[in-house]
Amino acid sequence: MNKPLILIVEDEQQIRRFVRSALEREGLRVGEAATRREGLIEAGRGKPDLVVLDLGLPDGDGAAFVEDFRTWSSAPVLVLSARSTENDKIDVLDAGADDYLTKPFAVGELLARVRALLRRGRSNPESEAARVAFGDVEVDFSRRQVSRRGEPVKLTPIEYRLLGLLIANAGKVMTHRQLLREVWGPAYSDSSHYLRIYVGHLRHKLEDDAAQPRHFLTETGVGYRFQL
Amino acid sequence: MALPRLLIDSRPHPSWWRYARAVLACGLTAGLAFPFHESLDLPNTVMLFVMTVVLVAVKAGRGPAVLASVVSVALFDFLFVPPRFSFAVTDGQYLLTFAVMLAVSLIVGQLTAGLRSQAHEADRREQVTRALYELARKLAGAMTVGQVDDALRHFLDAQCGARSSLLIAAGDTGPTLAGEPGVALDRLDWQTVRMVCASQQAVMSSALDAAGLCRHFLPLTGATRNRGALVVSVAAALGEMRPLLEAVASLVSTAVERLHFVEVAHAAQVDAMSERLRSSILSALSHDVRTPLTALYGMADALATARPPLPAEAQETAAAIRDQALRLNGMVGNLLDMARLQSGRVQLRREWQPVEEVVGASLKLLGPALADHPVRITGLDALPLLEFDAVLIERVFCNLFENAAKYAPPGTPIVLEADAGPETVELRVRSGGEGFAAERLDKVFDLFERGRPESAVAGMGVGLAICQSIVAAHGGTIRAFNPPGGGACVAFTLPRGCPPAIESESLPPEGGTP
Repeated sequence: MNKPLILIVEDEQQIRRFVRSALEREGLRVGEAATRREGLIEAGRGKPDLVVLDLGLPDGDGAAFVEDFRTWSSAPVLVLSARSTENDKIDVLDAGADDYLTKPFAVGELLARVRALLRRGRSNPESEAARVAFGDVEVDFSRRQVSRRGEPVKLTPIEYRLLGLLIANAGKVMTHRQLLREVWGPAYSDSSHYLRIYVGHLRHKLEDDAAQPRHFLTETGVGYRFQL
Repeated sequence: MALPRLLIDSRPHPSWWRYARAVLACGLTAGLAFPFHESLDLPNTVMLFVMTVVLVAVKAGRGPAVLASVVSVALFDFLFVPPRFSFAVTDGQYLLTFAVMLAVSLIVGQLTAGLRSQAHEADRREQVTRALYELARKLAGAMTVGQVDDALRHFLDAQCGARSSLLIAAGDTGPTLAGEPGVALDRLDWQTVRMVCASQQAVMSSALDAAGLCRHFLPLTGATRNRGALVVSVAAALGEMRPLLEAVASLVSTAVERLHFVEVAHAAQVDAMSERLRSSILSALSHDVRTPLTALYGMADALATARPPLPAEAQETAAAIRDQALRLNGMVGNLLDMARLQSGRVQLRREWQPVEEVVGASLKLLGPALADHPVRITGLDALPLLEFDAVLIERVFCNLFENAAKYAPPGTPIVLEADAGPETVELRVRSGGEGFAAERLDKVFDLFERGRPESAVAGMGVGLAICQSIVAAHGGTIRAFNPPGGGACVAFTLPRGCPPAIESESLPPEGGTP
């Protein structure tokens, strides 16, 4: 099988350089672009398996890039964000990006995210597997059963729906709005306290320590990430 | 004061002259008619006299018309009715003629004089209205309070010979003079002005001052609040001034209010511009500083984790560069946050959420920094939902945990406790170690102050100041103390507010299979 192709869209050359060398060391092919325009052209030519996208591009914001890119590709997009405002991250995630890393970031963390996204991209049907296990929890979708350490766990319909959605998007950051829309419907997209309470329920039922979760992770001000 | 005043009855001649003219007019009519008494019928002579009375009424008004009626009847009797040159009357019918003539003269004279005075009044009103309109036009074009004052003075002087002082309410300091004081104000007057401003009621004093004038104090009532007061000094006799003065006061207050809002809008615009500038500088700074830091950190990290590994010394150096870059990044972040918070207008993105979630997020964010300290959390799951900005409160927890980990000896636990009071929720982060230096306890939240200035631990004294700004922006309080058991504790409160109702959802009837 061909080595996956990663496209880096980043205007700062030094950052491009170390990201490229880290990815190449991982055995991946790497393409580069310094602007949004170049990035779109490069993406159209190379059909990358994953895009690493800087949010602070000189010729336009990242959300616009993702919107364009999403019209013809479903390859995962990992956003590098130097900005501290959560709104930009939400915008780019709502536009269809999959995950983000806040600058500065460790190489190991970057590679872990890239690997996770590539795995998702390659084996999408995995999320529809009948059984998923994480920690000491096992979810059997065919029988609609959740158990923890072999004991059945009772979930309400909403909790079950939320759990299913998070598992289906494991490794990906889901914004509050995306989750609310999918589970509660569009009318609830501003009632984020519902979401927070139900994620709290899931944590209390399925995590060892609800205050220090290992699977239902909070992306503060943005949304949640479920990690298998 | 010698100028004709619209509001002062402007008859140019003294009244005795008007009466004299009435008498003269009657005499003149008699003199003109006398040579023709042979050819003129008496009824026509009567007509001439009645017409004279009408003319007198038109020219000289009501009183002279009455006099002219009486004089006309007398002259008619004396000069024209036989026997002539005597008031005696031979034919009794003439008595009826006199009575009718007198009655007609009086009635026609009265009506005419009434019309005249109405016309006069209407004229006067129209002129006042025109002058008011002119004032309104000037006030609408006024760009400063000084111009308002000028227009007002000019109007009052021209229309009623009054002088005025315009006082503008300015914030909490009370009313201040706009322009020159046209009326000198003593202490008592100032007191009256303040009272008028507070009560919004006009004070029309009837007491005369040294110059024989009396003072009226009118409030300038704005749409939302009092805008000041108007002091008018005017000749005492003018009771009908009040409606005019009130109209003027209302025009002036509209003008002053308009100027006030123009000023407010201008200030807001300037504010918004400087705010935009500040935030764009901050975000540019943040981007420009973070970009090289990201490259530095990433490259050092790549070296430190290179496969195959670098020689041990080089690897350690790379790791040290990476850690220093991360520290620098933390400091820059703190300073930028502080700058943002201190710029005064933090936009809080308040949402109802459990505290537990931000605590978890901040513990995860700190990660390895807390490796040496077990974290114990109690009471969090019993808390109600609170309304706060998750990103900022996460920052508070990060700073508190980080501080605790930095200053407490390795291995000692960090404890987070929560208590829900009736109005607020208190969260306490407790750690071991020496605690704060006792004499600095009240200063630890000041910018660039540190709990232990001589401490070997690196720090700038920004973290707790940031915490305080954030907590204060949420309407909470923060305090630091050394608990009796030793160590340090920082406690902050958040208001409970009214959490939104949540529709509860019940478990499905048969267990385990939703």
